[in-house]
Amino acid sequence: MKIGVYVCHCGINIAEHVDVKAVTDFAKGHPQVAIARDYTYMCSDPGQELIMRDIETEHLDRIVVAACSPTMHERTFRNVLSKSGLNPYFLEIANIREQCSWVHGDRGKATEKAKDLVSAAIAKAHLLEPLRSQEKGIIPTSLVIGGGIAGIQAALDIGASGFEVYLVEKNPVLGGHLIRLNRTFPHLEEAAQLIRPKIEAVLSHPNIHVMTLSEVKAIEGAIGNFTAEIRRMARYVDEDECDGCGECIEVCPVERMDNFDYGLKKHKAIYLPAPGGDTTTPVIDCASCLHFQDKSCDRCEKVCPKSAIHLARKEEVEKIDAGTIIVATGHDIFDATKKTELGYDQYDAVITAPQFERLTSPSGPTEGNLVIGGMVPKSIAFIHCVGSRDKSVGNEYCSRVCCTYTAKQALWTSKHLPDSEVTVFYIDVRTFGKGYEELYEEAQKRGVIYRKGVPSEIFRRGEKVVLRGEDALLGQPYEQGFDLAVLATGLVPSEGAQSLRALLKLPLSPDGFFMEVHPKLRPLDTAADGIFLAGTCQGPKDIADTLAQAHGAASRATTVLFQGKVAIDPVIAFIDEDICSGCGICEQVCEYAALNLDPYRRVMTINTALCKGCGACNSACPAGAISLRHFKPDQIMAQVHALCLGRGRQ
Amino acid sequence: MALAARKIEPHMVPVALVIGGGIAGMQASLDIADKGFKVVLVEREPTIGGHMAQLDKTFPTLDCSSCILTPKMVEVGAHPKIELMTCSEVTDVQGEVGDFRVSIRKNPRYVDLNKCTGCNLCAEACVQRNRIPSEFDMGIGKRSAIYIPFPQAVPQKYVIDPNCCFMLTKGKCGKEPKCQKACGTNAIDFKQKEETITLQAGVIVVATGYDHFDAGLKPEYGYERYENVLSGIEFERLCSASGPTKGTIEINGKEVKRVVFVQCVGSRDKTVGNEYCSRVCCMYTIKQAHLIHEKIPDAKITICYMDVRAFGKGYEEFYDRVQREKVVFRRGNPSEIYKQGETLMVRGEDTLLGESYEEEADLVVLATGLVPRDDTQQVGKMLGLPHSSEGFFKEFETKETVATSREGIFLAGCCQSPKDIPDTVAQASGAAAMACIHLAKARTRGTES
Repeated sequence: MKIGVYVCHCGINIAEHVDVKAVTDFAKGHPQVAIARDYTYMCSDPGQELIMRDIETEHLDRIVVAACSPTMHERTFRNVLSKSGLNPYFLEIANIREQCSWVHGDRGKATEKAKDLVSAAIAKAHLLEPLRSQEKGIIPTSLVIGGGIAGIQAALDIGASGFEVYLVEKNPVLGGHLIRLNRTFPHLEEAAQLIRPKIEAVLSHPNIHVMTLSEVKAIEGAIGNFTAEIRRMARYVDEDECDGCGECIEVCPVERMDNFDYGLKKHKAIYLPAPGGDTTTPVIDCASCLHFQDKSCDRCEKVCPKSAIHLARKEEVEKIDAGTIIVATGHDIFDATKKTELGYDQYDAVITAPQFERLTSPSGPTEGNLVIGGMVPKSIAFIHCVGSRDKSVGNEYCSRVCCTYTAKQALWTSKHLPDSEVTVFYIDVRTFGKGYEELYEEAQKRGVIYRKGVPSEIFRRGEKVVLRGEDALLGQPYEQGFDLAVLATGLVPSEGAQSLRALLKLPLSPDGFFMEVHPKLRPLDTAADGIFLAGTCQGPKDIADTLAQAHGAASRATTVLFQGKVAIDPVIAFIDEDICSGCGICEQVCEYAALNLDPYRRVMTINTALCKGCGACNSACPAGAISLRHFKPDQIMAQVHALCLGRGRQ
Repeated sequence: MALAARKIEPHMVPVALVIGGGIAGMQASLDIADKGFKVVLVEREPTIGGHMAQLDKTFPTLDCSSCILTPKMVEVGAHPKIELMTCSEVTDVQGEVGDFRVSIRKNPRYVDLNKCTGCNLCAEACVQRNRIPSEFDMGIGKRSAIYIPFPQAVPQKYVIDPNCCFMLTKGKCGKEPKCQKACGTNAIDFKQKEETITLQAGVIVVATGYDHFDAGLKPEYGYERYENVLSGIEFERLCSASGPTKGTIEINGKEVKRVVFVQCVGSRDKTVGNEYCSRVCCMYTIKQAHLIHEKIPDAKITICYMDVRAFGKGYEEFYDRVQREKVVFRRGNPSEIYKQGETLMVRGEDTLLGESYEEEADLVVLATGLVPRDDTQQVGKMLGLPHSSEGFFKEFETKETVATSREGIFLAGCCQSPKDIPDTVAQASGAAAMACIHLAKARTRGTES
């Protein structure tokens, strides 16, 4: 076997602290090293050509490059080998920059360490085996989970790129939280003007299949080839047959609080899912409908003049295949009853910000008239950070939108109720986005008073709710009565997304939102290849940032669809089935769900598309049945021996 | 306007032009090129990397900025579908979506890209070695007239500064230019001339970034008068292990013991015409305070602020951590900074205590904001892009930060408005998605090259 060793100066990055010539001479002394050279920048074109020439003229079998971290240039040098007709995995990198020259000051010792690292690399190079990456075809389709603004936008982009999309939404209508807003910040535009055209576009797009009242029940497969089971709840009212006459709603005996209006209005068990919205077809809330409790009622079915109601319908399960998945499951709103001191569940005059949106929205229960207990409030308090920046409820994080939506609501109030007194109680005012500071300023100019110090309690005195707290700027306690207190409730991780999290094995950040794979440079990717994040499921964010992220997630999710295939890295684990006892310990340590028990043969199997070659399973296997290609035990032990010999030399 | 309603282009050149090679331009280029479309990435500077390459650590995870950026730079440099043009500027854009005709001026590097090995012998030989303030190190470090901006630059090729090189300013350099003599591959070419090339592109991604607010515009802070009043980005270089001081935070050879940070310098400040918030300064200041605490545990650190805007993922938690490191957060920006002997005096009103303060400091760091590039007007005119009231490029609709009023031209990163790295990267991927929707039309017609 003939090994070539190439030691890089990396300008002065390595050469300043490592005697490169000495390392090269040392390498030459190894019996199977046919040639050893040093060069200023091995990764430069002349450096690469140097290696290629040697491979050809010296007939080298294995290459060792002593340079920077393999994350930097392993791919570069593998290409060099490929171009020269060698298997690209006949390369071993000795990292003498990040793990040597950059971290050691003593030139003598650093040089010795570099020699040891090169020795170890040479020892491993002997044992390198040829590996080949494989390609697999893909399904040119995306599955988008969640039909809020993030999922809608991602679906539109993927559809417009020419790929099929399944958009799965558990609610009867699309639009998420956004469809329930009155106006958006910073320009107080109607939320409907933003969301409705997008909903229409998604519904009419030939590439996009919208599945409402649907939930993902199971997912298997890997990037390029996922299969999802979608549970489609029955639509008891047939959309084609129903003419929207509303007689069914009249006869329904059940009244219940409605989620769409955040509990502000009672609805029947059969109801219109989005008042003023896109559909005139009612849906049935099975949780409250008597028919689905004890079959004691079928009045709606009987009364329907079009016979459009079919209570006997059953849910269905549909299987769909997709190459990539976008998770856009959104957020929940902080439950203000957890802050008992703020009196939300005691006083009608304490409401949440989403309720304020509904009360001021033309499509809301009061048709946009802000009325509390039959009265138009004259004095209104807005309270920041309810459920955010609050360790007492377990939410240390900032919800990112409440400061600016409060400024918007305060400004709206001062415009629509010019005689009212509006006071905002805050900790910090975080109006950071484009045009947001200007909105904050406008609210102040219109007479909105900002008071630093959120109230510690709210109680009732006469007709008023009284806020008690400390004004941090005046350094004085305050007690101030208002007709209405609006709690700027924060954004919390979606409860309903937890089962999906388990299905996809997605990790969570400490704040409970889905975790991106790298917080800076890969904010849209997850630890699972082919699964991406969009919108508030990844963390609170406003509409503009959500849209930017949704476009971005569409880009990430279409890359593999455009490529039309996925490459499977050969540096992955493999199982010696003669040794494996099927104990399943490896399955527990695998972060990527790549290991499964074959129930018939009682041995573990590896999904090559999911395995990332992290090495967790092979080190956990008590029988030594799993090894990792390119890092096999004999290869690693050879490195260890070489390093120990190096210690002996000194 | 809904996407589906947009008109179908009669013709689509399957090439994307990306203007600007910072993290936004790099991410957009990679996302487009990975889908199989050709990208021409034009960068004015001799290297890609932008401002992010200058940062020490990134908030809130304290990842080393160049460690996470460099692999991405290498990927851009090596991508078979990305044609990287450094030292180049887009000078003219005609046509419309599907068929933009672009003129690009390639400024002379005076070093042959194909011959230079990046060996550094020329810079070592330069008669002006270590004499010229390094732009990358914000003038704190020095370089030669022939130089590489920083060790991880992509491409790893040297460049001659035409404003400093004696050959280029005076026509001679001693008996013969030492760099040329030192160069083993004969790569130095003083006769290189600028050239203009033209090309066609179907779509354009604008990722031209931002400038730092000039702290000299706030004379009361003494930035131009006192050497121990630094801007945020200058502090990054001072603090960086690969920076000119190898990361020791010293002023005139003395380790600093009292440091005051001042927030919102050039942001939320109508007196300098910038009403907007720069979105990153609160967090980078908190990070910088942490870095000082780490290096000089007994240093007394104060942050003067208006509001602490720690809004991103993990940011509030980081703010909390730094408060527990005994960093004092004082509400109320100073009204002036002056010198008493060798000591800086920071004077202002603490709005929480309701009393005035005077803090002594060895070092004051001004959290300078992000402002539009000085050539935004000119670039906007060339591309037919309007700008918003604060001077950044205007997005199509308030919430659609990626699209512009011109079809086929998209925005990525801080040229649209200040934002941090994750938001920039997400938006850049978004710009790529929008660009590829157009480019895909060429594909479906089977005209992809």
